[in-house]
This record gives sequence, C-alpha cells and structure tokens, in this order.
Amino acid sequence: MDDLYLDNIDEFVNDQNKIVTYKWLSLTLGVHVNIAKQMLYHYLQQKRNESSGTPLHATYLVSGKCVENGSTCHKVSVVREDKLDAVKAKMDVTISVHVYSVQRAELKDSSPLYNTDYDAVKENLKNCNKYSAIRCAAAVSLSSAELQRAQEMALVPPVEKEISKPGLNENTSATSKPSAKQPAGIMGMFASKNASKSQESSKEVKTEQKEDSSLVREQSKVSNALKVESKDTRNKTKRPEFVDRDDEEIESQQKKRRRIKKPQPDSSDDEVVPDSPPVHNVHTPSPKKQVKREPVSHQEESSEVKRRKRRRVLKSNTFVDEDGAFVTEKGYVSVSYSESEEEPEPNSQAKYSSSLKQSFGKRKEEKREKSQKKTSTANKPTKQPSIMGFLQKK
Amino acid sequence: MSETLLFSLKVVASIFGYFTMATLTRQDLNFGQVVADILCEFLEVAIHLILYVRDVYPSGIFQKRKKYNVPVQMSCHPDLNQYIQDTLHCVKPLIEKNEAEKVVVVIMDKEHRPVERFVFEISQPPLLSISSETLLSHVEQLLRAIILKISVCDAVLDNNPPGCTFTVLVHTREAATRNMEKVQVIKDFPWIVADEQEVHMEEAKLIPLKTMTSDILKMQLYVEEKTQKT
Repeated sequence: MDDLYLDNIDEFVNDQNKIVTYKWLSLTLGVHVNIAKQMLYHYLQQKRNESSGTPLHATYLVSGKCVENGSTCHKVSVVREDKLDAVKAKMDVTISVHVYSVQRAELKDSSPLYNTDYDAVKENLKNCNKYSAIRCAAAVSLSSAELQRAQEMALVPPVEKEISKPGLNENTSATSKPSAKQPAGIMGMFASKNASKSQESSKEVKTEQKEDSSLVREQSKVSNALKVESKDTRNKTKRPEFVDRDDEEIESQQKKRRRIKKPQPDSSDDEVVPDSPPVHNVHTPSPKKQVKREPVSHQEESSEVKRRKRRRVLKSNTFVDEDGAFVTEKGYVSVSYSESEEEPEPNSQAKYSSSLKQSFGKRKEEKREKSQKKTSTANKPTKQPSIMGFLQKK
Repeated sequence: MSETLLFSLKVVASIFGYFTMATLTRQDLNFGQVVADILCEFLEVAIHLILYVRDVYPSGIFQKRKKYNVPVQMSCHPDLNQYIQDTLHCVKPLIEKNEAEKVVVVIMDKEHRPVERFVFEISQPPLLSISSETLLSHVEQLLRAIILKISVCDAVLDNNPPGCTFTVLVHTREAATRNMEKVQVIKDFPWIVADEQEVHMEEAKLIPLKTMTSDILKMQLYVEEKTQKT
C-alpha cells in the first residue's frame, strides 16, 4: 500500500486533534481492520523515530490468558502505553497486542475512546463488520416479522453482568436484531470460558471496569463456528453493553430516563437497572421467573422482572461521617417497583464508596474498588421532581 | 399541527432523557423553552467535564455517567452539583429569550487571575422550528462531538497551576441583566456584575475547539488561554 495513509493519519491526529482508533480508521479509509492496525503502528513508528513535533500517546489492546481469583480467564484489555509492559507481564500467555488508538491528548479515562467510535459505527451499523476480522456465515439479519415473533416468544433469561459495569447497548435503529437468540448465546458465554456457539452480534461491546483509570476491559464474543479470518485464531466473547433507547421504546412502560442530578437518597435517579433490555420484558406476556446466579461471587445478580416488579437498583447515599467528610456510598438495594418506600439496606455488594473532604482544594487519594455500577439507564417509576423544586429550595 | 409539535417534544424528551413537565401540558409549545432545556442540560455536562479534564477538582469526586449515549464524567459532590445547577437555572430564562450571548467558564488560579476561559457562544436562529424527525438525533450527534472535543482539549492547552477555582460568567445582549438583578430567580443565589479582571484576560491565546450549527441552535466553543500560566 502506498504511503498516503501516513499523511492522512497525520492530518487526523495532529491537525484535527482527533483520536484515531483502528476501528474508526478502518471505517473511514475503508480498509480491513488488520490493515488499519498496521497503519497505526507504522505511523507511530515513523513519528517516534522523527523525535520531533508534538508528543503522541497511544493505547494498546492486549489479549491473553491470565489467572484471576483462582480461575483462568481470557482477558482482553485496552491499556495505555505506559501500563503496557505491566499488563503484559501479568498475563500468563499473551496472545495478541496491537495498537488500539493514537492521539495527541493524554486521556484521563476511556470515555473518549468509546465516543470516537460511536458515530462511525452507528452510521455503518448494518455493515459495521464489513472490515472486521470476525465473521459468522450463520449470522443473518432477521426480517422484521421474524423479529417481532421472536420478541413475543422470547423467554428472556436475564443478561448477566460481570464484575465491572457494563451497560447494554443495542442500537435499535438497526432493523436486524437477533435479540431472541442473543440472550441464549450470551448465557452460554458466561458459563464457559470457551466461546460457545453463540450468535455473532453486530453490536460493539465494551465492558468497562472502574479500577485504574488506565485499564479498560473489552470483552468481545465470537462464536467458534465462525470462520475467523484474522491471523491469530482467538476466541473472544462479546457482550452487549450500552443500550440505546429508541423512540418507540420510550413509550414503553420501562422507559428509562437519564437525568443528571445530584445523588439524593430520596430520588432514585442515578440508579442502574441491572438486567436485560426492557424491550423484551415489556413484550413478553408471561415473563418467566428465571433467575440465574453466576458462579463467581462478585458478579452481579440481576433478577428477572417478575409481575410484582422488584428490582435491584443502585442507591447512592450521601451523608456526613464523624470526620465531617462527605461519604457517598453506593449499594444495591431491592426496590419494589410500585412506588413503595425503599429500604436502603446497602448490600454487602456495595463496592464503591468515596469520601470527600469538604474543602475542594484538598487532593485525596482514595482506593477505588471495583464498582458494580452500570451505565445503562434506569426506570423512573417514582414521580420525577420538577424543576420548580429549586425555587422552593433556597 | 399541535400534535406534531407535541410528538416532537416527546422525541426531545426521549432522546435527551429529559422530561419537561411544564411545556408538555401546554398546547402552544414554546420552542425557546425546548432549546433552553437542551442547552442547559448540555452546559451542565460540559461544565462537569471541563472540571474533570482540567483537573480543577480531584478526579476522585467524579463518576462515569451516561449522556447522549456516551460515558461522561460527572461530579458526585452535592454542593458542587447544586451550585452548577443553580447557576444554569438562572441562565435558562436568558437563553429562552435568546438574550444570552456567551456562557463562559472561567478557571482562575489561586490569586483569582483567570488562566483559562472556555467560551460557549450561543445563538439561536430567529425562526425556530423542529422540521424533521432526525433533527434531534442530529443535534445529539453534534453535542456528542463537542463532548469529545472537550475530552481531548488537554492536547492543545497547557497545564493549569494547582489550586484553581472556577466561575461561570454570562454575557448578555443589551440590558437583560437589569431584570436579573431585580428578580432573584433563586433565593440567596444572586448574580453580580463580573469584575473586569475576570472578563478580560491579558495576553490571551485563542484556541478554537468546536463549532456546531443546527436548525435550532448554533454554538461555538473556544478557549482563551493565558500565555503564561504560572
């Protein structure tokens, strides 16, 4: 390939100050992802050799086998360059390492990486794996009639969440959605480490973990029936993450509203509902009461929405402790759906607590445990306080 | 006709996850309010993100939340959140009447000298109309792009000295502030005329970040940065 791409990447990175991920590059230039990865690598080499001009930062995707909590698992991580060697050392077997993104800015967290790909993937939703190395011949889009039938019949086992906080992201603007088959496939994923025969989803999947801000875990799923065209045949698991609410879904009963508010014990605003996309729940006439528990204790249990509608929601409790410091505790509590008062019994599974000093100037080092917070939106069964509340407040 | 408008507002509510109870019950919708709601929500997210990216407050107080379908960082501290919300609540009536020209987030060092000013220049087209269904998802896309640009702005800006604080200034057209002084929108949250020192910065570099143009709103974001920060 000729070297024009180097100029292209240079323009994106230096002139436009963009974050160039391999996925975005492959969709923009219309090349296979593996070529995009190589392009980024060559660009990085060239710029580093020149040792002039603005500094570049890169993130890498590392995938390998490691032992965690006593069990071997296949871990796929997006890491910053400065943490790359440490992560590689931690793995027993490093299966693959490649450049994930190149940018000028030193990113404080991983959100911009997702943001970068979002629009590009959304535009190419129907064929976003056109340049991908992951293929499944059996994955064919359902027609809309089939889709509807599948939704009605679906006995949806809840989609389990992992330690970290995945959200569910389904771009419902795509008409093709093998949603019924997907949960079954996902369930299979979680139980076994090998990729079971699962439907390849066309959705991008990310699981973010709130540990070091430099580490983002990405788990992608591939069925082992796939003809993997990439050079290294590896099994990845994909799980849907963020749920994209469409207009029709908003009308549904389980509409989730996201409203940026301060955490208040009385208003359940920033809670996260840890279960499967509510579309399924709404359309099923007789939801099955299947509650599956993950073998790993840390993993979150999501309860199927029963008729009585009890949910576990993330409650955030802010109070002042004896030192005069603000403490925010987030815990999962069972909340009855039908507007009764919640009993805030913070679960033993409350993982995230931060204490804040009252003066803003102090810098506080705090230990952040893995949070079970999800990013999917929450239901708002309670009455939403109106904005007029501010006027009465002060 | 009013049903279409009502539907469009539902689309607003759905896409932005925001429910304006006041406007939905009225038959004659006020687009100024719709735009103001969208903009104030966006400004809230943007201010939190600026505080995160520019290290005005330690990153420990921030948590990941979701807005416009992407993760953003929002603060958990109740006082800070309340302050930002009250500020924007007072700004909203100005935006509704299209009297707000600029909303500026000023970051100041320990001596209260501004080191950075994030300027959001806002203008609304005189004839507001929600013409197409894809308009709001288009606006969402544009706002997402601005969020992304704020996230990477530390590539083009120098680091701030430690111990910075921030404040929000609003530049209004004509004499709109006179009303603000007379009527306190929120009790005990007065707005005062800004010091000349905060408004103008000597030896400033101008760094454009992002421009967005849509049918309902035009916004430009740029940063005025002091050349010597320490």
